[in-house]
Amino acid sequence: MTTTRRSLLAGAAFATSFALSPAFAQAPTEIELFFPVPVDGQLARDMAALIKEFNTAHPAIKATPVYTGSYDETLIKTRAAMKAGKPPAAVIMSANFLLDLKIEGEIQSMDALIKADGKSNDQFMGQFFDALHGNAVLDRQVYGVPFHNSTPLLYVNTDHLKEAGLDPDKLPANWEELVTTAKKLTKREGDRVTRWGMMMPSNYDYGGWILQALTHSNGGQWFNVDYGGEVYYDTPSMLGALTFWSDLVSRHKVHPAGVQAGGAVSSAFLSGQASMMLLSTGSLTHIRNNAKFPYKVAFVPKNVKNEVPIGGASLVIPAGVEGERRKAAWTLINWMTAPEKSGWWSRATGYFAPNKAAYDLPEMKEFLAKNPDAGIAVSQLAFAKPWFATYKTVPVRKAIEDELAAVLSAKKTPKEALVAAQKQADEIMRPYVEQTALKLPTN
Amino acid sequence: MSAATLSTGVSTGEISPKLGYAATLLIAALWMVPFIWMLVAAFNPESIGAGMASLVPSYIPTLANFHEAWASADFPRYGLNTLIITLGILAVQIVTITLAGYAFARLEFPGRTLCFYLFLLQLMLAPVVLIVPNLTTIAKLGLYDSLMGVMAPYFASAFGTFLMRQAFRAIPRELEDAALIDGASVFQRIGFIYLPLAKPSLVAFSIVSVTAHWNEFLWPLMVINSPDLRPLTVGLASFTRGAEGAQAWGVIAAGTLLVSAPLLIAFALFQRAFVNSFVSSGIK
Repeated sequence: MTTTRRSLLAGAAFATSFALSPAFAQAPTEIELFFPVPVDGQLARDMAALIKEFNTAHPAIKATPVYTGSYDETLIKTRAAMKAGKPPAAVIMSANFLLDLKIEGEIQSMDALIKADGKSNDQFMGQFFDALHGNAVLDRQVYGVPFHNSTPLLYVNTDHLKEAGLDPDKLPANWEELVTTAKKLTKREGDRVTRWGMMMPSNYDYGGWILQALTHSNGGQWFNVDYGGEVYYDTPSMLGALTFWSDLVSRHKVHPAGVQAGGAVSSAFLSGQASMMLLSTGSLTHIRNNAKFPYKVAFVPKNVKNEVPIGGASLVIPAGVEGERRKAAWTLINWMTAPEKSGWWSRATGYFAPNKAAYDLPEMKEFLAKNPDAGIAVSQLAFAKPWFATYKTVPVRKAIEDELAAVLSAKKTPKEALVAAQKQADEIMRPYVEQTALKLPTN
Repeated sequence: MSAATLSTGVSTGEISPKLGYAATLLIAALWMVPFIWMLVAAFNPESIGAGMASLVPSYIPTLANFHEAWASADFPRYGLNTLIITLGILAVQIVTITLAGYAFARLEFPGRTLCFYLFLLQLMLAPVVLIVPNLTTIAKLGLYDSLMGVMAPYFASAFGTFLMRQAFRAIPRELEDAALIDGASVFQRIGFIYLPLAKPSLVAFSIVSVTAHWNEFLWPLMVINSPDLRPLTVGLASFTRGAEGAQAWGVIAAGTLLVSAPLLIAFALFQRAFVNSFVSSGIK
């Protein structure tokens, strides 16, 4: 069965190339785009539609969208494919993996392509919001083009606010208000909690990001933005952030204990079992379409200052993609990140459009007028910083996420957890540190 | 109460039929819970919300979830791919494990024991470790992005070889000797003496193999690029792995049911044969 179909296909391909080769028409350059689906299944179909539109508009290129699982699985598949000598032409890659990929020499700089288009790097990156540059421009070279991005956002069920006698227009702006509001919103029947005042996701990938948001809101940094070998896990700002989260669980009892997955948090919010949550702006469209109650969104409440990390993904070109395939990938990347497509994808998902010009288009203005919540998500960008990215981002992130899980299950104190996480992260990054910051002249 | 029954069970040194029956029921109930939940959720018109956690349906059943799941992926094609992969692997495996099992069980050659232990060592390797080396080999063989590439690494099975070796060793050598006297060749002896007697082991292995490859996700995800060649698991994942949206439990349950239904039906149909084979292969 397979062989028949394969040989048929091969035969067809052969026949086509034979028929076309002597003529001026060339066979289209075939490229693959690896893409994760961070939102829901509908978007996998939307992506297929988008690429089909691209192929129709560009007959010289034939792009195939390849669904590659979660962000982490996309990284595994891309690395495996490269090692096997089959790098995809372009990948939608989690924005905080770019630094590690660059350190390992697995993605290529786009500077030459930008130059060939007659632009400087600053002109090219100028299209995108400033907050996104930190995860895309590494050592002054452009390694990624922002495709869809997010920040954490506070979602509040305003029906619950009214019911608790609170002003539905005044959402918690700092940690103090967050705790008092959450206490009023939490409902109990005896010892059993029937409604949580506050929920935050703590599963892998999500937990680290939310903790980074709390750390930034507490004046912290999380990692050295300019150097991939340092994280600041064992610091006062981080201790405050982690203790705050743990207090919500064990002291104030307004947040469920244990690890909460992102999907479970939004399901709890949508079903009225949680009154407030911190979640990605990437979920905004999903919440809007499924909430059967009025809700409002606000900036992440602060303790010291308003500041959050960005999230989302960038388009990258793996090392080893050359010639026509590289050019075709570049065409695809520019097409996908242009204002019109960027805006369309933003409206479909809830991610904001990285391309600033997308917000000048009439359809986007109309959309924002109708959905002011999407506007708040964009305005938080002015307070956004890069997402943590280090040498071996995923294990360094897991080092703290495992400790976070232990704290949320009351198995460790925040201080113990941070010391352990710092030690483990330093251990993971040591090979890189020894090759860079600690590589000193010996004579 | 359970402590009391347990102690009487221990004191006589045997498990009474009643106790055994109760334990079976308990374990069956534990196993059934997720399945029942999947059934209840799949027909739930809500798909998201508090009612989704319930094991007792409290709604008018709907097929909307199935409709959406069906529309979200090309299930017939994915199903065909999965079928080709699982049956293709199994067909080749049966040949390789029979021959290898026979070699380890009956042929005398230097280093046989060492070879066998090396073979068993392969059981200890986590498949994830092998992804990159396997993929490199597959690409070199020109099988990247093909169903053959998904199947190839599984053509030999350490587990199956072990199982067949044990089964063959339990068969009296006299039977083979008798056939040998009648002038049967090696393949005739395997085909007419060993295989029929080792059928229960073969069936048991087939079930394990088919279920494992039917449900496999990571390896096909690595090998396959073309949407046309995706197996069911990869197709299903496109709407269950959303990290930032809420999970639409109803649709996920319906999709999972669609994916697992063929296997479930096959098990229901051949249940007696399967159970018998497990029982007799276990006794040996």
